[in-house]
Amino acid sequence: MNYGLCGMCVTSQLELPELAPWLGPDRAPDLEIRIGSVPLRLAGATYEGPLLQISSDGSCRLAIPGVASYLARGGRDITVQPEMDENAPDIRLFLLGTVFAFACHQRGLVPLNAGCVEIDGAAIAFSGAPGVGKSTLAAAFLRRGLRLLADDLTVIDVSAEAGPTVLPSFPRVKLWRDSQEALGWASAPGECVRSEIDKLQFPIESGFSPAPLRLSALYHLARSREPRALEVSTLRGIDAAQALLGAVYRHQRAFQMGYAKALTSAVFRMAPVPNLSLAWGSDLSRVDELVDCIVSRQSQ
Amino acid sequence: MMAADTATTGFQWIASYPKSGNTWLRLALLALSQGDDAVDLSRTHSFAPMASARSGFDAWLDLSSSDLSDAEVTDLRPRFHAAQARSLTTPLLRKVHDAWTYARDGTPLFAPAVTHATIYLVRDPRDVALSFAHHRACSVDDAIGLMADSACWLARKRRGDATQLPQQIGSWSSNVASWLDAPGMPTPLLIRYEDMLAAPEDMVRQAAVHLGWTTDSAAIARAVAATRFDVLQAQEAAAGFPEKPQKSSSFFRRGVAGGWRDALSRDQASRICRDQQVVMERLGYLP
Repeated sequence: MNYGLCGMCVTSQLELPELAPWLGPDRAPDLEIRIGSVPLRLAGATYEGPLLQISSDGSCRLAIPGVASYLARGGRDITVQPEMDENAPDIRLFLLGTVFAFACHQRGLVPLNAGCVEIDGAAIAFSGAPGVGKSTLAAAFLRRGLRLLADDLTVIDVSAEAGPTVLPSFPRVKLWRDSQEALGWASAPGECVRSEIDKLQFPIESGFSPAPLRLSALYHLARSREPRALEVSTLRGIDAAQALLGAVYRHQRAFQMGYAKALTSAVFRMAPVPNLSLAWGSDLSRVDELVDCIVSRQSQ
Repeated sequence: MMAADTATTGFQWIASYPKSGNTWLRLALLALSQGDDAVDLSRTHSFAPMASARSGFDAWLDLSSSDLSDAEVTDLRPRFHAAQARSLTTPLLRKVHDAWTYARDGTPLFAPAVTHATIYLVRDPRDVALSFAHHRACSVDDAIGLMADSACWLARKRRGDATQLPQQIGSWSSNVASWLDAPGMPTPLLIRYEDMLAAPEDMVRQAAVHLGWTTDSAAIARAVAATRFDVLQAQEAAAGFPEKPQKSSSFFRRGVAGGWRDALSRDQASRICRDQQVVMERLGYLP
């Protein structure tokens, strides 16, 4: 079965219930996911971290102990060597997160560590450090009746004719149980993303915006010391470029994969997209004020 | 003030049970390293930050710790430390509240091979109980209970907004003993909070020497003056302190030794002495 993911036709030996089926024209797959053996060491590794190896041709090997090893090559194929039941959601969590983000780098797409919502027909992405409340904000947008293009990995095609364009990921949202409770989220029962952690994944169906949309703004969330704070400011020049690069998924690794020039050029092509800094108190009970702030600003 | 050249490098752990003067010593060392007459409380977080900060772990391991179980995070922390240590050219200061424990495969979380030096701070657990209760906005009895719980963790409740990894701190006694008796580790410098109060310049000098810093007494006197407890308290009252937990009213509370005498009930004090007797005797907190 073929799936659609960020505009790509994906064929997979693993079942991927998170993804929507491929509805585009019949064509050879853009990305092939196989179950197979992944070598312990990459030949010609230029980077060797505790879990990740990168080779000089940009291939990436990621090993999650007890879950699986993954090898992503050329943005065209990903090999998965499971260390647990191949249908466990744990395997797909890393496959559709970190590993897919590396495949995006390999394809010349820009993966952002960001969620993305549709407001007035345009894509608005929101990024920020771990723990700042991106997933909670994504869920709060949904509750407001807005549609998401991505919940935590926003993929940009900078070479699209209309300018930098967001390629929608898949119709799921991940939420911690406490966020779910704080939001009074009463959707269909969620599935645990991993057996031992209290993070759930929910199908969003009508809350998913399936068509590519031009990226109109990128908000950089930051935790404010003041619990009631909500301050927006426009970043300019080098500050904007730095914030944008900081939001690119594992951008240092992309440099080590040999894409420094391509990524720098992509950041340059994204210069027309406004970058805004948004400081807030990270108080889950006040997330609706954050939604109001972004919606009213983008509707102006 | 410069860090002296050392042949070896690695982590310099400033370890303690919570509320034992760790931040106070960090700020004094920060003032000393900068040579300034005051520390800017809004900019202290990057100096000797928590070893358990989630952002560093996530960056070095190329994954999100929020996708891992507590046990998996703990198992990977030695690899995180090893990778970071390999990149070092000068020693790296880190604040620690974890007990000196092991991953499931038997690897120490804070292995001798990645350790350049350890300073362990300790404070009378009867004073810790009062400060810990204030810090966590819980009752003193609950704090006393946590301090006796050898399976106690911090940041274990996994949430989306966590900025710290789960840390097994153990009981007050097991935390102290784990670091002081850690096999294969360089001998730690033990600093008592009460001595920091009574002889701050001497303690800061000992800490600086232990870390391999070259310094002089005028610089130490300036650093101690910049981080006097009343100075820090006044600065926090005026402009806040980002390291304060949201639920607690202030970070710098009293800065005294023996405050328990007029704040703990007789029962509470004797419960602590019973729970922590062996280590309290070892450190001279009980006759």
